[in-house]
Amino acid sequence: MNQSNSKVIGLALLVILILISLFSVKFGAVSISIQEIGNAFTHLIQGTEITDLNERIFMQIRLPRVIMGIFVGAALAVGGVLMQALFRNPIVEPGLIGTSSGAAFGAAFYFVLGATFKLNLGEWTLPIAACLGGIVSTMLVFYLSQSKNGGKSSVVSLLLTGIAINALFLSGVGFLSYIARDPQARSITFWNLGTLSGAYWEGLLIVAIVTTFSILLSLRYAKQLNALMLGEQEAQLLGISIFQLKIKILLINVVMVAVATAFVGVIGFVGLIVPHLLRMINGSDNRFLIWSGALLGAIVLTASDLTARLILSPAELPIGIVTSLIGVPVFIILLRRTNYFF
Amino acid sequence: MKKYLVSFLLLTVLVSCGRFSNKDEKQENEERIVCISKQYSEIIFALGAEENIVAVDLSSTYPPEIKDLPTIGYHRALSTETILAMKPTLILHDNNIGPEQVVTQLEELQIPMKTFGNYQSTIAGTDSLIHEMGDYFGKTEKAKALVEKLKSDMNLALEEGKKFTSKPKVLIIHFGRASNVYLVMTKNSVAAKMVEWAGGEMAVEAEGQMKQLSPEVVAAANPDIILLTDFGYDQLSQGNEIEKLPGIAATKAFQENKIFRVEEHDMVYIGPRTGENVLQLQKLIHPDESK
Repeated sequence: MNQSNSKVIGLALLVILILISLFSVKFGAVSISIQEIGNAFTHLIQGTEITDLNERIFMQIRLPRVIMGIFVGAALAVGGVLMQALFRNPIVEPGLIGTSSGAAFGAAFYFVLGATFKLNLGEWTLPIAACLGGIVSTMLVFYLSQSKNGGKSSVVSLLLTGIAINALFLSGVGFLSYIARDPQARSITFWNLGTLSGAYWEGLLIVAIVTTFSILLSLRYAKQLNALMLGEQEAQLLGISIFQLKIKILLINVVMVAVATAFVGVIGFVGLIVPHLLRMINGSDNRFLIWSGALLGAIVLTASDLTARLILSPAELPIGIVTSLIGVPVFIILLRRTNYFF
Repeated sequence: MKKYLVSFLLLTVLVSCGRFSNKDEKQENEERIVCISKQYSEIIFALGAEENIVAVDLSSTYPPEIKDLPTIGYHRALSTETILAMKPTLILHDNNIGPEQVVTQLEELQIPMKTFGNYQSTIAGTDSLIHEMGDYFGKTEKAKALVEKLKSDMNLALEEGKKFTSKPKVLIIHFGRASNVYLVMTKNSVAAKMVEWAGGEMAVEAEGQMKQLSPEVVAAANPDIILLTDFGYDQLSQGNEIEKLPGIAATKAFQENKIFRVEEHDMVYIGPRTGENVLQLQKLIHPDESK
């Protein structure tokens, strides 16, 4: 890896992200003029109330949505980087250890049985249910993968337990959609395709704080993850406690991914492809991958959301459809063109 | 690379045709109503009050001319901006809309929303709804006429019903099938009421409005008549798929060639045409005894 190279890439990603965000803020089902955007900010700075409908749409719907896309994209991509590094496995994505299937189960539980169990914390009920589901399932994976002798779980058993628990929770989601009434079943389907359309400032604030904090924290472990890429025993010889590193990375990942998923639903593929795209460009130093992953993840999700809103405008597609629809061909083309080894 | 681009563009063209691309031809209207309820939509058109309707949801499919209006998508997967792009001065909905966050956003933006009274899904309940909507749109007389028509059609149908000597078993399959499981309309559905009025009985005893049932249950129920809603029927009838469906060939309905297509919007809510639709159903269920 080349230091100046990664700076250039970083700068380029930053510029692209800013451009796409600007596009994304301006274009959508409702067209918002630059002047209206300016007015909205003037009102915000002066502390006066916004009365114009378009300005309010910008402030209350469009802007939080775009920023939510940036943070969720960053969270998913960095989650992907961390998990692929930890498991030293290219097919790993951030939801692998049960996080997204657990979150999906939490959400489905709320949709179908929320009224029966009188779960009601207003607009926070769904995110809390999903987040709890994600955390519980991940804890379960971690607990079950501990081997009896010594209590230390090997990476492989963690991976396999993750796959098994994912299947378990997804069958739970399947059962809930089976017993659900039609509208509830549809809610589950759409939640599992993800959408940024419900973004609001309070939720955004939580996602932003958790994501920023987690990414900064994970940068501290980048070097240790680099050492781990050599192999578990080699890393231990370098004085790294694999068990501690594993717990820390898993905790960072589960909190970051569970919170992001809780607010926007399951969005696939971003966490899988973004780390690979970056490795194709500039090698697999995790110090580089973490921060550039955050930028590229934000770009990919913001661009997908823009596409989701414009392709059928004024209607919009669930974003999970778009990330795969566009992500897959791009990914395959790149894979065929480059001489890429994990 | 080009290949991918072409297929992608093709896909874009494909998805952008259909009702999403309908032009908004009512730009000049001062009052702009978005209606997110198939039942409301049909009643509004029947009242002749559709002038200010600028967009409807995807499931509003009756009358046929409603398909010229732009749509704002599926009623459980709404997007705030899609609705606002129609510049609505009023949103009509029947509380069956989602996701919740979109409703919250619309409320926060203070977009006027209205739901008519929550009447029972019966003929009497629908009468009240039509009256209320008639008063609301200033079409009181037309509403009276619609209610009269509905009542007289229903009376006619119930009179007819008294003559029937048998009670055929009817199975209603919705949306065709997915992986060999049938989505069947059950006891509490509007369709079940209509079948009863038309002098039939539901072939399958199950609670709720719809249930996914296995082909075994369908075969064991041995319905005399099978009704398939439009989407499933059209999809399946192309390659004579219906006879190949598991569990269907064993039924009396199949052997006597009594598998029929029904329109979804005739069967899932009670509206001004329900009486007519029941009379139509009677022709399918009792071909020899009804007029």
